[in-house]
Amino acid sequence: MAIARKVKTSPKPRKAAKVIVKSKSKKVSASLSLSSVFVFILFGFFFGFFLSKARATDYDSIQDMFRFKDFQLYGVIGTAILVVAAGLFLTHRFKKPTLSGKALDWQPLKFEPTRLIGALLFGAGWALAGSCPGTVLTQLGEGKIFAVFTIAGIAVGVWAFQKWQPKDSNNSTC
Amino acid sequence: MIANKISNFFHQTNLNLFLNSWHWLYAGLGIGLTALALAWFMGKRLGVTGGFVDACSLATGSVSSSWRIWFLIGLPLGGLVATIGQWNWTLTYGTLDAFTYGDPWIKGIWLFLSGIMIGFGARWAGGCTSGNSIMGVALGSKMSILATLGFLAAGAIVANILFKAVL
Repeated sequence: MAIARKVKTSPKPRKAAKVIVKSKSKKVSASLSLSSVFVFILFGFFFGFFLSKARATDYDSIQDMFRFKDFQLYGVIGTAILVVAAGLFLTHRFKKPTLSGKALDWQPLKFEPTRLIGALLFGAGWALAGSCPGTVLTQLGEGKIFAVFTIAGIAVGVWAFQKWQPKDSNNSTC
Repeated sequence: MIANKISNFFHQTNLNLFLNSWHWLYAGLGIGLTALALAWFMGKRLGVTGGFVDACSLATGSVSSSWRIWFLIGLPLGGLVATIGQWNWTLTYGTLDAFTYGDPWIKGIWLFLSGIMIGFGARWAGGCTSGNSIMGVALGSKMSILATLGFLAAGAIVANILFKAVL
């Protein structure tokens, strides 16, 4: 039984296949395995699900937040911040920034006050469109067809910034 | 209709968990735990705007695989399941319909131009709500705290002007 298992999970053929894939396309900097692709889709799924349940995908809910009429979204964002801060604080304390053993992919942004202009632009757009980049994709799944206009706009905005400040991005040449 | 049957099933079994929106505490816990698990188990920092950058790079061929793009693909699936039992295509968009006098052209152009502001602004600010306001603030980044205050200030001004001037 043990031998049979060993033969079955022999890593040799897999390794060979990987080498071939790598030599085929040099562009691939970090190709993802099928299982991690599934895990990342699952993370996106849960994020979208909770955003929808939080009412963050509702136009009027965003307006009520910005007009200080409803505590809902402040509560949602505040709770999320506290959970992340507490969780990462705990693991950092025990000198294990992540449970997988890898370092957290995080470089804090340099403090540049000009970025505040971008933040104001984003805030105004957020209030006008009633959605931010994450919620607008979730809206599409909810069946709100007009979200495609916002998505197209975001793509254009991201592209335009990349043309204007190509060095700002860490890994893309878009 | 199959859609009606699914809807009836969720109503009859009284699965309000799936039909209603949640109290901010539970929804916030869900979002926070998702972001925390992403950091703990995958070593990644939650962020959506970066996914748009990667998708744009994918179109030009400089990137061929990115976890962020897969993450983005999951978002609409989450929205689909969250509204199960009452899902339908809709052209409505809350009070925006009143702002745009019900004209789909004005609404589309309005959303497109706001989208440009969102995309350009989010990149300039170094992240959107998820990257800056949740992850950045949780990690104590000064820039993220300033950016979040900027989001809130501009959003509050614009929303209040909208409701006073247009409606």
